[in-house]
Parts: sequence; C-alpha cells; structure tokens
Amino acid sequence: MTPLLQITNLHASIEDREILKGIDLTVNAGEVHAIMGPNGSGKSTLASVLAGREDYSVTEGSVLFNGKELMELSPEERSREGLFLAFQYPVEIPGVSTANFVKTAVNESRKHRGQEPLEPAAFLALMRERMALVEMDPSFLQRSLNEGFSGGEKKRNEIFQMAMLDPVLAVLDETDSGLDIDALRIVASGVNALRRADNATIVITHYQRLLDHIVPDYVHVLWNGRIVKSGDKSLALELEQRGYDWLKQEAAVEA
Amino acid sequence: MSTHPLVELAQRLVPAHVVSGDVESSDGRLDALRREGLREFVRMGIPTTRHEEWKYTNLFPFIGLDYSYAPVRWSERAASTDARTSMTEVASALGQHISIRIVDGVVEANLTNVPDGVDILELTSDIVENDKDVARTLGSGAPIGSHPFVALNTALLESGIVIRLRKGVQCELPIHLSVETTANASTLIAPRLLIIAEEGAEADIIHSSHTSGGATVLDVTVVEASIAATAHIRYYKIADDSDASRSISSVTADVHRDATFTSHALSIGGRFVRNDLAIRLCEPSSQGFLYGVSLLAQSEYTDNHTVVDHMVPHCHSEELYKGIYDGSSTGVFNGKIYVRPQAQKTTAYQSNHTLLLSSKAQVQAKPQLEIWADDVKCSHGATMGQVDDEAIFYFRSRGIDEATAKALLTYAFVSEVAEKISLEGLRELVMRRIARRLSAESILA
Repeated sequence: MTPLLQITNLHASIEDREILKGIDLTVNAGEVHAIMGPNGSGKSTLASVLAGREDYSVTEGSVLFNGKELMELSPEERSREGLFLAFQYPVEIPGVSTANFVKTAVNESRKHRGQEPLEPAAFLALMRERMALVEMDPSFLQRSLNEGFSGGEKKRNEIFQMAMLDPVLAVLDETDSGLDIDALRIVASGVNALRRADNATIVITHYQRLLDHIVPDYVHVLWNGRIVKSGDKSLALELEQRGYDWLKQEAAVEA
Repeated sequence: MSTHPLVELAQRLVPAHVVSGDVESSDGRLDALRREGLREFVRMGIPTTRHEEWKYTNLFPFIGLDYSYAPVRWSERAASTDARTSMTEVASALGQHISIRIVDGVVEANLTNVPDGVDILELTSDIVENDKDVARTLGSGAPIGSHPFVALNTALLESGIVIRLRKGVQCELPIHLSVETTANASTLIAPRLLIIAEEGAEADIIHSSHTSGGATVLDVTVVEASIAATAHIRYYKIADDSDASRSISSVTADVHRDATFTSHALSIGGRFVRNDLAIRLCEPSSQGFLYGVSLLAQSEYTDNHTVVDHMVPHCHSEELYKGIYDGSSTGVFNGKIYVRPQAQKTTAYQSNHTLLLSSKAQVQAKPQLEIWADDVKCSHGATMGQVDDEAIFYFRSRGIDEATAKALLTYAFVSEVAEKISLEGLRELVMRRIARRLSAESILA
C-alpha cells in the first residue's frame, strides 16, 4: 500500500536559516500521528511547509502525498488534493461571511474533482450538520469569518471547515493552544468523529493533554529540526513526566 | 500675465450688464450673485498644486482646453428616451423613479409622476426674487469666495434646478438627476442644483453623469441643500463614467434640528473626479453621514475633500471612506472636522481606509480635526496598505486561488461602505459594478 504521506530527508529554511534538518516520516491511511517537541524545534515550520507557506524554502528532500510530489503543488492545489491545515492562529477576515467562504472553498474542491457545485439548500443543510459536530451555532455562518470570535470559537471553526472539506490528511497545528478544557473536548470530539480508515491526521502539540482526547497511534518528538524519537502513545505520557531535556541529551550524544 | 482660457471664457459668457452691475438694467439678486462669482473666479484664477486645497489635484492636462459652453436650459419637450447605456443601468436599478435629465445642457424633466408636495422647478431670476426659500438657499452654502470652480459655476448661473420637498412629504420615488453629455468638441457644463427639504420631508436623490462622444467634458456642478428640522435627505453621487469626463463638484448642506443629511460618494470609474462636500450641523441633534467608495484603476483620479462643521451642541457625524487603487491611479482624501467652542456633547467619527493594489498607485490622506469644545467624543483613523498576505494564504490553504482570494478580500473591504446604501436597487447595482470591476462576481452568486 502506498503511504498517504511520505516525507524523506526534508530540509527547509527561512531567510537562510535552516529550521528542518532532515525529517523522515511516513503516515498511512487510518493513522493518527502526534508530533511533539519543545518551542522552536520546528513543529509549526513542518506544518507550514506541508501547507505551502511561501516564506519557507525547501532545500532538500521530498514529500509524497498520495504518490504526488507535494512541493510542486501550490497551496490551493494541495488543499484540493485533500490536504488540510488547521491554523494555530486562524486569520480574521472582515466582510467575508463564514458561509460564503466555506461555500467558495468547497466548490473549488468540487470543481477540482469534476463535481457540480452543491445546491444552496443541500449546502446549507450540510453546513448545519457539520457545525453541530463542533457545537457551533448556525448564527456564525452569517458572521464575518473569525472576526471577533473567541479563541475557542476560532478553533472550532477550523474543525468545522475541516469537516466541510473532508480532507484525506489533516494537519492540526497547535489546535489546543488557547483552549479551555471544555473547548478542547469539543474540538477533539469533532476531530475524532471525522476519523476514518481512509484518512489520516497529524496532531502537532506542545502538551500531552490533547492526546488524552485524540489518541494517537504514533508519537514523534521533534527537536532541532529532526525527529529524535518515535514511539506509541506512552511516549507522550513519558514526556509529560520527564520533560524534553533527557531527549535532548540523548540526541546530542547520538549526534 | 496672460489670462487663462477658462477665465477668458467666463468673462466672455457673463453679459456686460451683469459685470457692470448697472442698477437700471440689473435684474437683481441672481445677477448680483453672478457678478460676485465672476469677480471671485477672476481673482482666484485656476488653482495650482501650490494651493493647499489643490495640492494633489493636477488640473493641468485638461483645464486649458478650448471649451465651448453648453448652458443649462429648460426644454419644453418631454424627456427623450434615447438613453445612454450607463444611464439606463442606473435608471433601471432604481425602478420607478422621478427622472430629471440634463442632456447637453438641456433639462428634460419628466414631471408626470411627481407626487404632490414635491416641486421640481427651473431656477430662474424670477424665482430667486420671489421665493424666499430659494433666495435664502442659493449662494448660502457654496463657497464662492474660496473655491474657484464654485465661483465659475456661479458666474455662469442662468438656469438651474430646484428640488423642493414640502413639509412632511416622504417622497417614495427616488429622484434621479442624470447629467448626459454627448459632445464631439471639448465642452464645459455647469449645472446648479438646489435641494430644499422642508420640515419632516424625506427623499433619496441620485446624481450621476454619463459622457459619450470622444471629447473632454468638464462638468462643474454645485449643489446646495437646506435640510429643515426632522427632514432626512440621502444624496448619492455616482461617478461611473467614460474616460472623457472630468468632474468637479461642490456639495453643501445645512442641517437643522433632528434632521439628517447622508451623502454617498460612489466613484467606481472616472478619469478625474473631485468632490467637495461640506456639511454644516447648524442646530442641535442634527446629523451628518458621509460615505465614500473610490475604486480606481489605470490613471484614474478621485479626490474627496470633506468638511463637517459642528456648530452647535449635541450633533453627530459619521464618516467612512474607503479607496481601492490599482494601476497608476491616485486617490486623495482630505477630511476636516470642526467642533466649535459651543458645540459640547458632539460625537464625530471619521475613518478612511485604503488598499493599494499596485506599486504605482498612490494615496494622499489627510484627516484634519479642529476641536475647540472639551466635552466631545471624536475619533479619526486612517489606514493604508495592501491585501494581507496572511489572509491570502488562509484562503489558498482552503483551496481558493490567489487571484480569487485577492478579489474577494478587496470586495469585502469595500462592501462595508456600499452596504450603507439604503436604496436596495441602487445598492445591488453598486455592489455588482464593484464585483465586476474586481472580477469577484462569484461572491454574489
């Protein structure tokens, strides 16, 4: 079986400073991977590079997504191919309603797949159903996208958009940051409801607590631009207890 | 120094008896006003960019052309129907409405559907002599002594249009003043409009210009409005015209107790547009609303100079202008707010925001607040920038391409102002025009 995502020796820099220094990672359909690591280890850079943020330049390595070279695709093509990035800091867009934005995005994906745009009534019904997953009130549809939303509302809106776009691979970049425990539970249950045998999720997080709710199959520790340790969910618990320092020392010895 | 051709033209057009002010032949107030206009125009001459109020306004490319003058005259015949496309578009967006057309200077008013209590009259020397409201309003607000083109318009004033709304009349049909010019030679027109709203009256007045034919048309318009207590007037100036048009207009409004004057300066296209707007809040609880959209491309130019004068306590003003400048276009916004010493409890808010879509586009923004009272709430804000890269990336990460993202973000930026248009048909037309110009039609689907 072809892996959904295969990252090989990925190097990426910003303004000539190398942040990712050779990442290898394989994600198969049906799996949830957690990527943890201290601040500045390159977690968010990895998410940005996958989504196609142009501030970063990829200097070496390859990323195959469903067998296609991801780095050759524009950010919008990646999305239409089924990649979704949930932003750590969703952007406020005054003047564009959530409904209009989601409709435009979904129809772009449908067009890409050769499907007709959804009928307005069917679309509205689908939006209401998917909003319920993250306990979002339908009144948000008419509000400007993310404008004046609380931290929790913004993150729920990200998962709502994910539910509408139905991605093959979702990358959640610190989705737990700024969430209280109730919002965390709602967001996590939304993500869990979208898990299927034919899709996969990468959860990027600083803390173990999100992983109590979204239980990963694999946990990877990123430090200094490399994955220095991989394991199952027990690794996350170990990190919670021991911190990152022991791993940094191990990595330093190996290097 | 030689006399500027436009000054020479004005001197030639104003009859000798008006210039001399000979009491025997003078026909009174209108002539006196024209005399004053000519005197002031000759004194001020054509403003140059050394003049603070005209600092960015480059009149040079067209002001010296050899203009022939198309005087405003009232026609006996009924309004013709051979309308220009752009005019038809506005007219059909308004649905049923009262139509006043000035075609190459000839006024064709269709007065068959004008309801009782709405007077649409020719401005004549007779009416200026005999109608005290007209006499009081004419020349009362327009800055004849400080605005050279108001002086020019006044010097050339032989005829004009009076819209009077009688006490308590709510004019449900919008009133459309359409200025249409078809010249094949450079033409000067100088329409004058008086709006007199009596107590409690209400109306929407739409003013649009439509130039066809290849020659330059210089339109120097002056509008003076007097808004009595509890009256509400909404005035829309639409500039969505051909490259041949050059428009300089001055609008003044005196607003009385509990009355409102709302202005929309909608510049969706136009080679050269200079709008001066002055609102005087002259009795307590009067309100002024000033909205503007400037959507420019190529080498277009739009210049909005606004003044809100808070003369008395407890008045409110709100101003929102947004500009989107592409190509090598230039936008100017100059917004003055005066709060006089006695005008306590004033609330006055001004904001002006600009998006620059090209590295060659320019904007000059100048908020000017002079506040002499101490118990007031006033604010102003001006921003200028480009479409936010982070926002574009957010769109792209959701599968929306960069061009569409930019168009949608730009449309969203400007639609905030267009949404203030309360006439539904007109609002839809303006939104549609904006969307079309930005290639963002998909958002309307």
